[in-house]
Amino acid sequence: MSNDNQMNADMHRILDGERAEDGDTHAQAAAAQFQNAVDAYVTGLDVPGREVDWAVMKVIRARQGKMRSFGWWSWLVQPRMVQLRPALAAAAVVAAVGLGVALRQVTLSNVPGVSSETPMVLVRFELPAPAAQAVSVVGSFNDWNPIEHQLAVSSATGLWTITLPLPSGEHQYLFVVDGEQWVPDPGAHAQVDDGFGTTNSVIVVGPRGVARS
Amino acid sequence: MTERASLSDGAAVERVLAGDVECYGVLVERYRSRYARYAASLCGDADAAADALQEAFVRAFDSLTTCRDPNKFGSWFARILTNQCHNMRTRTRTHVALDELDVAGSDGADAQLTSGEIGNAIGKALEALTREQREAFVLKHIEGYSYAEMADVLDAEVDALKMRVYRAREIVKEQLRDFA
Repeated sequence: MSNDNQMNADMHRILDGERAEDGDTHAQAAAAQFQNAVDAYVTGLDVPGREVDWAVMKVIRARQGKMRSFGWWSWLVQPRMVQLRPALAAAAVVAAVGLGVALRQVTLSNVPGVSSETPMVLVRFELPAPAAQAVSVVGSFNDWNPIEHQLAVSSATGLWTITLPLPSGEHQYLFVVDGEQWVPDPGAHAQVDDGFGTTNSVIVVGPRGVARS
Repeated sequence: MTERASLSDGAAVERVLAGDVECYGVLVERYRSRYARYAASLCGDADAAADALQEAFVRAFDSLTTCRDPNKFGSWFARILTNQCHNMRTRTRTHVALDELDVAGSDGADAQLTSGEIGNAIGKALEALTREQREAFVLKHIEGYSYAEMADVLDAEVDALKMRVYRAREIVKEQLRDFA
């Protein structure tokens, strides 16, 4: 092996972190210390668990339910796989443009009825849960995100509360207790089956005043 | 659920696109467990990682038709997750300069450090890395990926990744020398 080739090989071994195997005891000790630190970091690392799975599927199911309620709109925007023969592809694109159909993904924020011009109303959510360590509210207004809206607790009463600005209209929601239990609001005006075996609470927000859950 | 759980990534994606959204739960569980540690390392804490994972999975669902090779859903999702983690970190943290890090922890040679303190030093040293160095370091040294696997996830050349890992490792080692 030429000197140049040897140098290249050495450089790659250094970049790969393998240099310590050459019998250099000082380098081996440093490598061992490095590995021990990495192992300690991994051991102590707090990682998300199954609550992520539940939260994601809650959002996905809610979106599917919302899509169904929009009928023809959901047919247009729902993700689907379309296979076209090359000869038909160009004609299909022309036809889609002619019909005004945008060939792109949309999210709920693009759905009619959720515009930024919709009047906002302050809504106070309450849940008596003196034994809970944390409570958040999830719903159609925050994409069922259990992290976004955390309630504050009164230590004297054990009542968890939060006031949120919501657009007028109907909203479905749940409380998330201690990051795990998704529970309906016992004080809600109405409860509905979400179509997947669980119940969502419902609030209808009017255009004026402060509504209560 | 057992039947769904045994599906390949490609088959699960096809079923989701055909309307069986519950199949998406299979992919969520599969890749949440695989990338939870990666997300926590990139974000710096479990709460931010949970947020990043959730947003990444929802974005992936919304964009599922753009996943060109459903059998490589995992790599495709990892790229979305990596971006989400960096966004989350930008939202929740400010960059910490290396000389501001309080990782020395010991005033003298006699100080005895717990493994937790040593592990914390790695976590704090990650703060000093660039975005590219951090994701490469985490995949290589925390997740144990090969450079070929890293290239697939990070969409970068192997030689470039080796250099990023090398530089990141030197920075982290510099922090650890303070404990010696």
